[in-house]
Amino acid sequence: MKRNNIKISYHSILVRKVCAKKIWLLLLMPMVALTSCVKNLLDTAPPGTIASSNMWTTDNLTDLGVAGVYSALRLGIETGAASGRELYQYDRFVTSQGRDGDAFLQGTATTGDGTVSNVWKELYEGIHRANDAIYNIPLISPSGEEKKARYIAEMKFLRAYFYFRLNQLFKGVPVYLEPVEVDQMTKGRETEQAVWDVIVKDLTDCIDEPNLSEKYAKGDANFGHATKGAAYALRGKTYLYQQKWALAVADFEKVKESGYSLFPDYFELFRAANEQSDEMIFSIQNKALSGYGSTTQFYCGTRSSFGSCWNTYLINPDVVDMYENADGSPFNWDDIIPEYNEMSIDQREVYFLRNNLTDAEKKTITDKGVKLDAYLPDGNEERIKKAYENRDPRLAENIITPYSTYLGREIDGADRNFTSRWPHRNENAPLFDLTTDTRTFFYYLHRKFVYLGSSELPDRTQGPTDFPIIRYADVLLMWAEALNELGRTDEAIPLVNEVRKRAGVGSLNSSAGTMVAGQEDMRQRIRHERRVEFVNEGISFFDELRWKTWKETVFYNGNGVKQIWGKVTVPYVWGGDYLYTWPIPLQERQMNSNLTQNQGWVD
Amino acid sequence: MSNLYKSVALLCAMFFTCLVFAQQRTAITGTVKDKQNLPLPGVTVKVKATGQIVSTSEQGHFTVNAAGDDVLVLTFIGYEPKEETVNGRKNFEIILNENLSDLDEVVVVGYATQKKANLTGAVATVSSKDIENRSVTNVSSSLAGLAPGVAVRQGSGKPGSDGATIRVRGTGTLNNNNALVLVDGIIGSMDAVNPNDIESVSVLKDAASSSIYGSLAANGVILITTKKGKSGKPMLNYSSVLSMTNPSNMPTFVTDYVRHMQLFNEGARNVGQANPYSQNSIDLWTEANKNPNGLNEFGIPNYVAYPNTNWGDEIFEHNIVQNHSLSVSGGSDNVNYLLSGRYMDNPGLMHNTGLKRYELRANIEAKIAKFLTLGTQTFASTQLQDLGNTDNLFNYLRQTTPGLYPIYEGRFGGPSSADEAPILNNLMTYLYGTDGNNQTSRFNTTVYAHINFLKNLKLESRINYQTRFQEQDSHTVPLDKWNFADNTIVNPAGLPSTLGISNSFNKDYMITFDNVLRYNTKFGEDHAFSALMGHNEYYFKYYDLNTSKRGLIDATVTTPSSASEMVSTTGSGYDYAYRSYFGRINYAFRDKYLFEANLRYDGVSRFSKENRWGTFPSFSAGWKISEEEFMSAINAIKNLKLRASWGKLGNSRLNPDDKLGNYDYMATYSGVNYSFNDVQLIGLAQNKYANPMLRWEETTQTDVGLDFTSISNKLSVELDYYNRYTDGILTSPPIFLTAGTKSAPTRNTAAVLNRGIEVALGWKDQIGDFQYAIGANFAYNHNAVKKYKGALEEGWTADANGNRIYQSNIGSVSVSDGNQRIVEGYGINSYYVRDLYKGDGSYFNGDGSVNINGGPNSGMIRTPEDMAWLNAMKEAGYSFSPVNGVGKSQLYYGDFIYADRNGDGIYGNTYDLSLTNTRSEPKYTFGINLSASYKGFDFSMIWAGMAGMQYYWNQEGYNNSIVRNGNAIGTRYADNHYYYNETDPNDPANNPGGTFPRLKYNGDDVNNAANTFWLYNASWFRLKNAQIGYTLPASLTNKFSVSRIRFYFTGENLLTFTAFPGLDPELGANVGYPTMRQFALGVNVNF
Repeated sequence: MKRNNIKISYHSILVRKVCAKKIWLLLLMPMVALTSCVKNLLDTAPPGTIASSNMWTTDNLTDLGVAGVYSALRLGIETGAASGRELYQYDRFVTSQGRDGDAFLQGTATTGDGTVSNVWKELYEGIHRANDAIYNIPLISPSGEEKKARYIAEMKFLRAYFYFRLNQLFKGVPVYLEPVEVDQMTKGRETEQAVWDVIVKDLTDCIDEPNLSEKYAKGDANFGHATKGAAYALRGKTYLYQQKWALAVADFEKVKESGYSLFPDYFELFRAANEQSDEMIFSIQNKALSGYGSTTQFYCGTRSSFGSCWNTYLINPDVVDMYENADGSPFNWDDIIPEYNEMSIDQREVYFLRNNLTDAEKKTITDKGVKLDAYLPDGNEERIKKAYENRDPRLAENIITPYSTYLGREIDGADRNFTSRWPHRNENAPLFDLTTDTRTFFYYLHRKFVYLGSSELPDRTQGPTDFPIIRYADVLLMWAEALNELGRTDEAIPLVNEVRKRAGVGSLNSSAGTMVAGQEDMRQRIRHERRVEFVNEGISFFDELRWKTWKETVFYNGNGVKQIWGKVTVPYVWGGDYLYTWPIPLQERQMNSNLTQNQGWVD
Repeated sequence: MSNLYKSVALLCAMFFTCLVFAQQRTAITGTVKDKQNLPLPGVTVKVKATGQIVSTSEQGHFTVNAAGDDVLVLTFIGYEPKEETVNGRKNFEIILNENLSDLDEVVVVGYATQKKANLTGAVATVSSKDIENRSVTNVSSSLAGLAPGVAVRQGSGKPGSDGATIRVRGTGTLNNNNALVLVDGIIGSMDAVNPNDIESVSVLKDAASSSIYGSLAANGVILITTKKGKSGKPMLNYSSVLSMTNPSNMPTFVTDYVRHMQLFNEGARNVGQANPYSQNSIDLWTEANKNPNGLNEFGIPNYVAYPNTNWGDEIFEHNIVQNHSLSVSGGSDNVNYLLSGRYMDNPGLMHNTGLKRYELRANIEAKIAKFLTLGTQTFASTQLQDLGNTDNLFNYLRQTTPGLYPIYEGRFGGPSSADEAPILNNLMTYLYGTDGNNQTSRFNTTVYAHINFLKNLKLESRINYQTRFQEQDSHTVPLDKWNFADNTIVNPAGLPSTLGISNSFNKDYMITFDNVLRYNTKFGEDHAFSALMGHNEYYFKYYDLNTSKRGLIDATVTTPSSASEMVSTTGSGYDYAYRSYFGRINYAFRDKYLFEANLRYDGVSRFSKENRWGTFPSFSAGWKISEEEFMSAINAIKNLKLRASWGKLGNSRLNPDDKLGNYDYMATYSGVNYSFNDVQLIGLAQNKYANPMLRWEETTQTDVGLDFTSISNKLSVELDYYNRYTDGILTSPPIFLTAGTKSAPTRNTAAVLNRGIEVALGWKDQIGDFQYAIGANFAYNHNAVKKYKGALEEGWTADANGNRIYQSNIGSVSVSDGNQRIVEGYGINSYYVRDLYKGDGSYFNGDGSVNINGGPNSGMIRTPEDMAWLNAMKEAGYSFSPVNGVGKSQLYYGDFIYADRNGDGIYGNTYDLSLTNTRSEPKYTFGINLSASYKGFDFSMIWAGMAGMQYYWNQEGYNNSIVRNGNAIGTRYADNHYYYNETDPNDPANNPGGTFPRLKYNGDDVNNAANTFWLYNASWFRLKNAQIGYTLPASLTNKFSVSRIRFYFTGENLLTFTAFPGLDPELGANVGYPTMRQFALGVNVNF
């Protein structure tokens, strides 16, 4: 507004000029007039931002500042290409597979790895935002005391969450609990245990805060804010990491008391309509708007998905094989195709071919050295489909298997059922072959968090479904794990069965294949359950690190990014046990000599 | 013989007549013209004997009272003075020659003009004739090669974005290095000016010349002065240039699709991965290539159905650039005017990327009263730019394959191989796929008043308002992509419901108010004194508004209201303001000793109240040695002047992008996205650390110069030495990762020294009707960071336990920024890379132990012996970095190994990187200008060049080992990379001596790690312009009442000499819209 002064002053000069007799003398006036009129010429202010001197000074700004801390949960979401840092993208290290491989999986990761430095940076960003709020809300904000107390508890929850992630990956990081000058971030690393203690303290503060809600019901305006239930769940998980099993059990019991429970339908649980179900304890809030939504569709969906998506992430065939038969007994390929397990991997491809291959297609296959003796021109598809029938229903709910259909969208705008076929011919009518970016390879594809048809979201980068960070099934299985580790295996079984029942697979101890044979067997069964339950939820990789099982699960000889029949397109190479801990980013070590590197990593 | 008698008789007669009538003066009339036979108005004609002085009229006529033996003295600025004896003539014509010396040339300097002979600062000038009659499409790129110390680099040929980057005396800061551009004394945009309107360009290089612009001047000042009307009859000038354009250079990829597929399969095989292309596809193409014109069942030829597209060529068109200018100028005693207009049509080198521009100017000045002159410089332009998406095109240029056909019978090709994704990029869709309008308009007006209070005291006051606004609407053009092999649509055009439109508007405006009070006087004969004081206010504001919607009623209806779904609405803005007071004093003693002092006091909105103001003084002196008595004996010298200056300048721009950094001293919270219960919220978070202590960046510059002109005016030499030290450089050095994702605070960080010499040599001569001139300029600039975060210290020490450890403080004295670093003692952004390992190939010592210096001498593992050595090294405890494991997907044949610079036994790890002390900025810039004329013919050439720089060029698809899904592969890489087929030693593709590392499918952690292999000499020397013209004889043109017609043939970017293997060294180490090579025909007509 003050800028108008220039205009006004010129105007006034003109007026005076007209009145003046000695015009030339008055021409001197502008100099004088202008300098006096536009005193604040140099006091400009940014038109699109709030100056820090004003921050937290109103109730509204307090609300928005708090939302800004939550927004740090969205860091790492990139809509141009997969960042590799979103939670579900971590599954590429275990049950999912990035189609182009990854330095951590190919044994070439270095301490300068961009993923590592960005994860570090983004998690600390969340911490600093929380510190800013925790420090300034009590000092500045005029909001009501109860609200302030609640907000501070929520901010402590978030801070604990960010430290939790750091400690999961880097094990022992520098701790900052107050706002800190930009040049003062030279602290050395705390021990892993000291960081757990910091996390537990923050979460305990949350739990002790009377103004923090136990749980928000569906439709509550505050849904998405941290709750006591979430704090119990996260603290329980923290105890799990410290192998403080009894404390963990106590917290998980509290989660149940807070009113959380399983949603009855596993498939529907991951649809937007049920994102506020009683199973969702804490989730990243998504909304179908530019900059507010999820990218899961974009990177897990295919060209046949609405928006023409990239299938950057695929399903590793190992997890498909892990899904048990519906009665809970282990699945075995030999039951479907005799001697499948003994067959050369290349030869297995014949069982996945579509019916009625053309001569050209047959030539392409035989050129690869695959013998077509076992090929059934009229029954090949039916034969392989049997392998996916009568299995743990979560298999079909999480994964697009050969010759199953997926409701996608043709680019002409109509919703269509596409079918995953091999080899791919044509995605248009009348065939509607499911189309990927990897048409020369035949992969299992994600269903979880891949939207159906075109009505669920406006854009491939704007998925509306909230992304769960902790859900009740996770709590149940961690609870079972803690009980089992305490030797209370019998108490653990019903908790796992809750999850299995909801899924629709045979309960433990319900048939010969499901009999639990002691603590160690139960331990393996719980781990198995977690791997198949949490596909594409960003949980399994952290589990494998925690159990130190990553090497056996993923880096066994001959594993890699695999086509459906096991043909490796990108082989995995185990770099060494140092991979269980991420490296302290090279750049940070170079700037802050107080930071020590993790064992085995060479700068 | 009879003639001789007649002459003698006549002479005698005249002699006696003269004797008789010597004292009788009568009215004598004459006409003064220039060599082109154009009348010269305003020439001073003085009768030597009587001192009578008159001026020539608009037609060049004059009338004086003179006797037959009187001598007339004619003087006119820019022309050689002439003495002409009347010799009894009553009416005669005098031709004045243009002054070949530029000593009398008047140079525009800050807030004044000055005779070149009296300059004490370092000022380079470019005259209108170097800029006119060029087929270049903007002013900035036409300055290349014309002035020493002024490095001009055109980074893009895209119409509308083809302005050149200009660096005066090197890179002074890590910040915004752009010189300040003033058009008629007002901050403006160089490329908005019609080149034909320009009278002169001055580049103020040293602190003394530019400190009158204080805080804005640290990177040099470029003053553009537009033409004024001259009193005389109206002059009408028309000029027209038509030029054919070609890209200066084109990127080249493997265009044989079979070879492309084989190379990709090779890359996958190399790392143990499955073939991305099936043998089936390879066979299909091999078969089709045998009969390219054969038709398939749909009547489509094989070369379309199974294409081998050369994208580097297909994207370009050959067009004609048109440039038409018309101006009228003239004036009377009290009013002068110049009106001009220009139309330029630059269709660009690619479809739908052209630009049309319309410009108008009115420079009018009126003397209202004896003491008052009012005037205006008013300029308006609008340009219409096509919307072909070249950003995407160049993003994707390397992200497509030869396996799709561009456009066949109006249909766009998609891949016909099942092995490619159906969405594979058809680059033509980026050019054809967007339509709409993009119009940028400018309006710029200055109104000024000059008031003479007293004879020596004058006030100049001016107000300028200028605005630039851009209106854009764009919409997707739905395009199908066809598989021509089976004549089906592989990728159908979007339905109207999926089509998007966007509308945007952005505008900036600035207001300048400028007042200068001048005083000059002489005390006696010896002391000349002048002074000025002034005041300036400046306010700039920018804002924009962008909306984007989706879902059209129909693809042909493209208003926002016809779209159903809101995608986004955004808007932003920024502003800044300056307030300044300044003054200057000039003193000259006997026109021999020259002194000047300047002072500027500047305030700027970008700093807090406490740090806002800065003071910038300068002093300079000149000694015209040639005026000294003792020099009078040396005849060869016409002018010899020594000059020296010192001054301080400031820089308040905080970011190379003007949009950024305007409020960096205050911490701000800006919007971040989140939602609760599905309700959209704009949360607040800090996005940048603040620094309330921000203050001016200060540049101190010392300059010593020597000017020399030979007595004949033939030879001129200008030498300058400068020392330019910039302290408190405003930049944002990276911060701890632990500090989060907020941008680093802007700080007064570093000090940088630029030291250099500049030489300008000129030679001009005339042999009969043949005139020629040669100018050469050369500049050397040394750039070094003097202060940053401490000196680099590295080496071996012992830790507390006595173990030898290698320590380096590189991380604390500098921060990694790609492959470049800022470190004290090195040039700004010196490359920081590994060296390739270089061994002697002896492998093992006599005792059988591995010889650490005996590895492969090319830095690459090529042979089993190399591999045996590598494994032996590993067994002996050495390791290799970034990848140590041996295997196809790790370190293998055809991979680089790096030198162990610090000797820690790990080859190629962090501290094996070292500073090369080479940069992407040149050490040397130079130019050569030649011109010659003979009778009606004229010829000129401008060469420009840069040397002493390197580019790091390692870009996927062009010059990199990675073959990635859907990408192209550059020819130079394909032709010369390591390959060895282990299963077939006779494979014709085997090339174990290849220069480049082996191909790797989808990723390479070894070979693209920063290393010297990818550094290239980027020096270049280019024939920027050549011109041959012919002016029709006046005798002929006068018949058509045309005073002058000149036809010419000219060309731009005609020849380039460079060692850089990339697209264009002027563009830098990347591939973008190439600059144009132009061949043009032009005509100038003066009425």
